[in-house]
Amino acid sequence: MNRLVHLWATAVALLVALAAALAYTLYAQYSENKYVHAVAALDHSEISMGTVMDRTALRQTDLLLIYGASELVLLETKYEATRFFSTYPTGFMVYNAATKGGSSLTVAQRLAALGPDLRGRRVIFAVGPAIMTMAPFGDVAQRHYDANFSALHALELVYSPSISLETKRLAARRMLDFPETMKDDPFLLFSVQQVADDSPLAVILHYLSWPLGHLRLAILHLQDHYATVEYIHHLSAAEVTVKRQVRQVDWQGLMTQAEREQIDHTDSNPYGVDNSQWPKIKELFERTVPPGSKDDDFINDVTIAREWDDLRIALRVINEMGADALIMSSPMNVPLWETIGVSERAQNAYYERLHAVVDPFGVPVLDGSEWGRIPYFSMDLASHASRKGWIYVDQRLDEIYHRVLP
Amino acid sequence: MRSIIAFFRSPLGRVVLLSAYYLVIIAGLVILYGKGNFSATEFVYQGF
Repeated sequence: MNRLVHLWATAVALLVALAAALAYTLYAQYSENKYVHAVAALDHSEISMGTVMDRTALRQTDLLLIYGASELVLLETKYEATRFFSTYPTGFMVYNAATKGGSSLTVAQRLAALGPDLRGRRVIFAVGPAIMTMAPFGDVAQRHYDANFSALHALELVYSPSISLETKRLAARRMLDFPETMKDDPFLLFSVQQVADDSPLAVILHYLSWPLGHLRLAILHLQDHYATVEYIHHLSAAEVTVKRQVRQVDWQGLMTQAEREQIDHTDSNPYGVDNSQWPKIKELFERTVPPGSKDDDFINDVTIAREWDDLRIALRVINEMGADALIMSSPMNVPLWETIGVSERAQNAYYERLHAVVDPFGVPVLDGSEWGRIPYFSMDLASHASRKGWIYVDQRLDEIYHRVLP
Repeated sequence: MRSIIAFFRSPLGRVVLLSAYYLVIIAGLVILYGKGNFSATEFVYQGF
């Protein structure tokens, strides 16, 4: 006994610590389940690099999860889905996990991080033409990727038992294009490098690091629970109060009202661009451009965009994890692009490519092309939804939730 | 008092004492390094 006293003490201490961690996890899960509907209506960027709240939201039958980029985040308006549906007027609410600067590569990691909870669950992946049509080489900007990167999401993808090694390899190779995100985390960098490498040694090292990877994930999950509970504890009584009020929604009336408001916010220019966005793009409209004169450049940009490869990675993750996902695209702002020399025929290249990439995966896609000529739908060239656009999006979300749409 | 001292000198007492000591170390490590950051990074969205 004397010789083993340190061993016994270590075992006892570890068991007590494990029991405490388990007890805390149960308490955290109770809090997360209790307040997830309140969090859905709030800015939860403080915990958006974690996963526990997303996973909790995914398990709620009256919450519809949306992932994506700024198309559904940029404009702060009462018509934005989390505000519009905050009283559950038609029986559900939106949990908006879309982020400014989000891209297919970060969404792929976020979806992978949802783990087995994702199987059979409906999620919406909101995509838009901005990166494919406007970013250099159609690639996500470094600073946007960096700002949306989460070590937890990345590790979840690398050590997911549901995702094939081939998909992990494709994702890891792209993740290594952004080395800044991993430079302070040697274990994460090692893990991603092994998955990216297809040599037999790298595959062996990947599987040898599996237990360490899951230990690291267990610690990150505990930290995530702690951060989430802390976030919840700092909410006021008013913030955690969820009001449910079923009512008939007058979509047509709302569209008229939202259009009127949008027109009031576009008085700085004759093109219907929101005043907040006009200073960023007004240079493009300073001289008249012959119709269709930029078609070739546009089609080339759309064709070579790297974002399509990242979208394929996200779709592979969706399929391998068994998600009931739906791709919902924002439309091209057709008249505005025509003004700067890109014809509607050329703009259609975006939709053609979108279907060419998504359709083989069998994931339903609502491309949004029917919205392209609706006045004041988008508030800029990058297809960010305007006040009026949001009403159309809200109506579509309602139809998706109630299974009127696929 | 003597019985308490005698207990902590026994093998079982030493296990209890050492376990408490290790738990304090674990708690210290958790307090020092246990807090993760899951907040979205502050950045200026460049937009398009």
